[in-house]
Amino acid sequence: MALLDRSEWYDVARATNWTPRYVTETDLFPPDLSDPFGLPMTAWEAFDEPYKVSYREYVKVQREKDSNAYSVKAALSRSKYYDSADEGYLSLLKLHYGAVSLTEYQACQAQGRMSRFSKAPGMRNTATFGMMDEMRHTQLQLFFPHELLARDRQFDWAHEAAHTKNWAVLGGRHTMDDIMMTRDAITTSIMLSFAFETGLTNLQMVGLASDSEAMGDFTFSNMITSIQSDEARHAQLGTPSIEILIKNGKKAEAQKALDISFWRVWRLFAILTGIPMDYYIPLKNRHMSFKEFMHEWVIKQFARQLSDIGLEKPWYWDLFLDDIENHHHCQQGGIWSWRPTVWWNPPGAVGPKERAWLEQKYPGWNDSYGRYWDVITGNLLDGHEEKTHPNCIPVICNMCQIPVSNRPGPKWKARVYQLDYQGKRFNFCTPVCKWIFEQEPERYKDFETIVDRMFSGVIDPPTLPQVLIYMGIGVVSNGGRDGYDYSWVDGHRKQAAE
Amino acid sequence: MTASKPATRSKNMAGPLLRGGEIAVAACEAIQEDNPEKQVVIEDHRTYVRVEAEGGLIIRRKTMEEILGRPFRMQELEVNLTGFSGQIETDENYMRWYLKLDL
Ligand SMILES: [Fe+2]
Ligand SMILES: [Fe+2]
Ligand SMILES: [Zn+2]
Repeated sequence: MALLDRSEWYDVARATNWTPRYVTETDLFPPDLSDPFGLPMTAWEAFDEPYKVSYREYVKVQREKDSNAYSVKAALSRSKYYDSADEGYLSLLKLHYGAVSLTEYQACQAQGRMSRFSKAPGMRNTATFGMMDEMRHTQLQLFFPHELLARDRQFDWAHEAAHTKNWAVLGGRHTMDDIMMTRDAITTSIMLSFAFETGLTNLQMVGLASDSEAMGDFTFSNMITSIQSDEARHAQLGTPSIEILIKNGKKAEAQKALDISFWRVWRLFAILTGIPMDYYIPLKNRHMSFKEFMHEWVIKQFARQLSDIGLEKPWYWDLFLDDIENHHHCQQGGIWSWRPTVWWNPPGAVGPKERAWLEQKYPGWNDSYGRYWDVITGNLLDGHEEKTHPNCIPVICNMCQIPVSNRPGPKWKARVYQLDYQGKRFNFCTPVCKWIFEQEPERYKDFETIVDRMFSGVIDPPTLPQVLIYMGIGVVSNGGRDGYDYSWVDGHRKQAAE
Repeated sequence: MTASKPATRSKNMAGPLLRGGEIAVAACEAIQEDNPEKQVVIEDHRTYVRVEAEGGLIIRRKTMEEILGRPFRMQELEVNLTGFSGQIETDENYMRWYLKLDL
């Protein structure tokens, strides 16, 4: 029997709105969960998802994707790749799984809420597929690292990270809770589907995959690009949302949702993708610098898409361009210095050759970040490893939960942006994090940073050993050490001898 | 697949990003065939191939069927479609990447 073409039945099958009779429309779609912008039902019925799929097609295609991902893994697991893999690269994997695996499950819940609470039948439909996609991503990224547990307990963070209060996890969770767990369906479609998935997931799932393929880890690169093929589809549910809001006079609201989420996710991805790309991947295997990648995917591709659907670049675009030059270099220095507090082994990896590469990709690196590493390198050459561990507590941003930092060097640019609200002083890393707080202080004001918790009695006693236990270090696995056991200093030692 | 890089790129480039595989190879060929008037730029980045042209590109189911020598559903392209620049339009007989505004 011949099947009807999809376009012949799709619009009819998707028309799933009805007139509720024994509850009100507001009961069925509470504005806080559904649409706080107050657009009429008919406005949302115009929602036309650009990337269409039928359930029959979905099952067929997803089955093919899954069987490919799992069979590549099965075929390559005999190769013992991970037994001799580079330590810096393994750190990239540990960071990835700890940060991403259960975030996929959060995304699954967020898609579930859009599929229930959106007034747009087209969004409910797309989000239903999105929900199943995210379940697949969770399963893949819990299953793949599982076999690595036997060789290295730090891989347990793939599953455990989300259940800990590690400082890096608090940062991720604060952002993800903000943009996809505590927003209405429409705002979620802008914050999650458009700003996060369309704008930034490519960095990790495609950009980093190029590097991991160069490392010979086809299991991983194949798996995450398979995931990204789902993202490319379900991320499209943000575009019609934005177009409908603009058409109904709500452009400012759509723009604000984009501006908040894009910044929040950017602050995380610079750490998640930027540091591994520019520091953890061995020099010979690097494909592009993080900055080059940002230019290709975000500054060109995403910004172009923004203007095409009728939004503007976020108001802080210049600050963002500056952050691309700085944020991940700062955090590489910070994370390396506080390495015992994380679940991977961050390599310093700034030997003479790496520094030359960094200087070429980020002109001025030697004269700024290089100076920070000069001190560390000097201490290591003098045999004073203990001096490479800071004895102070960082100032944590009350929004992104990341230590406040900026470009070192002759002109020290680090400063904190403060705000007094209801008798409490809040610290922010940038005017952008402060601006986000100001948009809705009640949403954010009660969250305690990891440092707040040391002073408020939550972490008791506030000693280093207790802080580490609180963060899951020594509980889930050991904390980090230098990924290469300082061997990257050898090049400098040779240079000094010459 | 050959990689080529133009000296300057316009602001109006749109097209698919494909990850390696049988379908991706066929799709690159089909895109050349389905967009004869366009200068198609193909950039190889190991895990993905960026295929773009000024104003966008189209790929047709019929062309894919000729190249693969078997029936093809447009949706199958998704297995290798890791992303795209511009906006997308999907139909059972074609997929299209485009930009509304000419900048
Ligand atoms: Fe996902
Ligand atoms: Fe997603
Ligand atoms: Zn911040």
